[in-house]
Amino acid sequence: MTGTVLAGDPAPASVAPWGRPRRRARRWVALGALAAAGVAIVALAVVLSDNVVYFRTVSEALRERESLAGRRFRMAGQVVPGTITENPQGVMFALTDGAATVRVRHRGDPPQLFADDAPVVCEGRFAPRGTVFRSERIMIRHGNEYRPPEVDTGRAPPVGAEPGGAGRRR
Amino acid sequence: MTATTGTGRLFSVRVEAALGAAAAAAFGALAVLGLAVAPPDAVQGDAQRIMYLHVPTAWVAYLAFGVTALASGLYLWPRTRAVAWDRLAGASAEIGVLCTGLTLALGSLWGRPIWGVWWAWDARLITTAVLFFLYLGYLALRRVLGPTEAGARRAAVAALVAFVDVPIVHFSVEWWRTLHQRATVFTPDLSPSIEGVMALTLWVGVLAFTLGYLALVALRYRIAGLEAARDAAALERAIAARVAAAAAAGGTVEPAGVPAP
Repeated sequence: MTGTVLAGDPAPASVAPWGRPRRRARRWVALGALAAAGVAIVALAVVLSDNVVYFRTVSEALRERESLAGRRFRMAGQVVPGTITENPQGVMFALTDGAATVRVRHRGDPPQLFADDAPVVCEGRFAPRGTVFRSERIMIRHGNEYRPPEVDTGRAPPVGAEPGGAGRRR
Repeated sequence: MTATTGTGRLFSVRVEAALGAAAAAAFGALAVLGLAVAPPDAVQGDAQRIMYLHVPTAWVAYLAFGVTALASGLYLWPRTRAVAWDRLAGASAEIGVLCTGLTLALGSLWGRPIWGVWWAWDARLITTAVLFFLYLGYLALRRVLGPTEAGARRAAVAALVAFVDVPIVHFSVEWWRTLHQRATVFTPDLSPSIEGVMALTLWVGVLAFTLGYLALVALRYRIAGLEAARDAAALERAIAARVAAAAAAGGTVEPAGVPAP
C-alpha cells in the first residue's frame, strides 16, 4: 500500500458529526464489543492452558501412564501397517511413534482417510488394566505436502483413484 | 485523488475499474484451475481443492490486518496524521474480518472430511478464532468511539494491539503441536512443499484474492468518505433549520445560541 493518494481530507475528524447519536444503540454496540473481547480472552486462556500441547506422542503417553490414569488426552502416532482389525464396535490397531507402540481400541467408525501408515491423533484414555488405549475419537493429521497422484499416463485419473503405493484407501 | 470533493478515493476511477476487472478475471481463472485443471491430491483427493480458497483467504486476512496496523501507525504518528489513514484502517479491517471468517469456515469444511472433525482446539484454530473476535471487537470499538479525532486515536491503538495476534497465528503451527498442518508456502525455510499445477493454482488464488481485497478496500474506503460527507451535510442542514426556526419565532439569532446537535 502506498500512501500517495491518501493525502488530505475535506472533513477533519474533530468536526465530523457523530452519525448515530442515539444513546441506546451505542450502549448495545459497547456491550457487543465487551462480549467480543470476553470471547477472545476466554479463548486465549484455553490456548495458554493444556491445549498448547494438543497431543502427546506414544512414548510420552506411556511414560506418563501413571499420571494419565483415567484422564482423557490425545495421543499421536502412525498406524502400524497390517494391524487394523475391524469389529462390531469399531476398530483395533497398533499406534507407533517410531520408538514406542501401543494397542488402540477405537469405538465407532474411523474417519475416511484412516488406513495403514496414516498419521492419526486418538482422543481417549488408557484402560484401567493392561496397556490398551481406549479411543473415542480419531483425527487424521495430514501433512503439509500436496502432490498429484503418481500416474504416468499424462492424464488425471478418475476421482478417488488409488495412487500407486500410497497405501491409503479413500 | 479527488479528496477535495469530499469523496476521497484510494485509487483513481480508472485504476478502480481495472482492479475490479482483473480480480474478476483472476477469480475466473482460479475456478477453472482449481476445479478442473489441478489434479486431485494423492492422499486427500478432491477435498484438498478447498486449499485454493482457504490459503488465499488466510493470506488476505494477514494482509488486511497488516494494512490496518500500518495505517493506524501512520495515523498515530503526528507528522502523518490524516483522517484518510483512519478510514483506510477501518476499511481494511472489515475485509480482514470477512476473510478471517471465510478462512475459519473453509477450514472447517476441509477439516471434516480429512481430519474427521469440524473443529479442533489446537493452537492454530484457537489463535485464528481469537484474531476474528479481536478485529470484530475493533470494528465495534470504532463505532462506539465515533469519527472524532480522540476516537480514531484510540481505535488506532487498539488496531496495533490486535495485530500482535497475526504473527502468533502464523507461527502457531511451528511453536506448538497442532492438528493443523504446518505452512506449505510461507515455510520458515521458504521452500514450498507444493509444485506444478497445484502450486500455480494456489498462486492464482492468492493473486485473485489480493486483487479482490484491493478492489473491496477501495470501495469501502470511498463509502466511508461519502458517509462522512453525508453526515457533515446533514449537520449543516440541521443547524440551518434551527437557525431558520429561531428566526421565524422572532428572536435574533446569534451563532452562540445555536444548540449543539
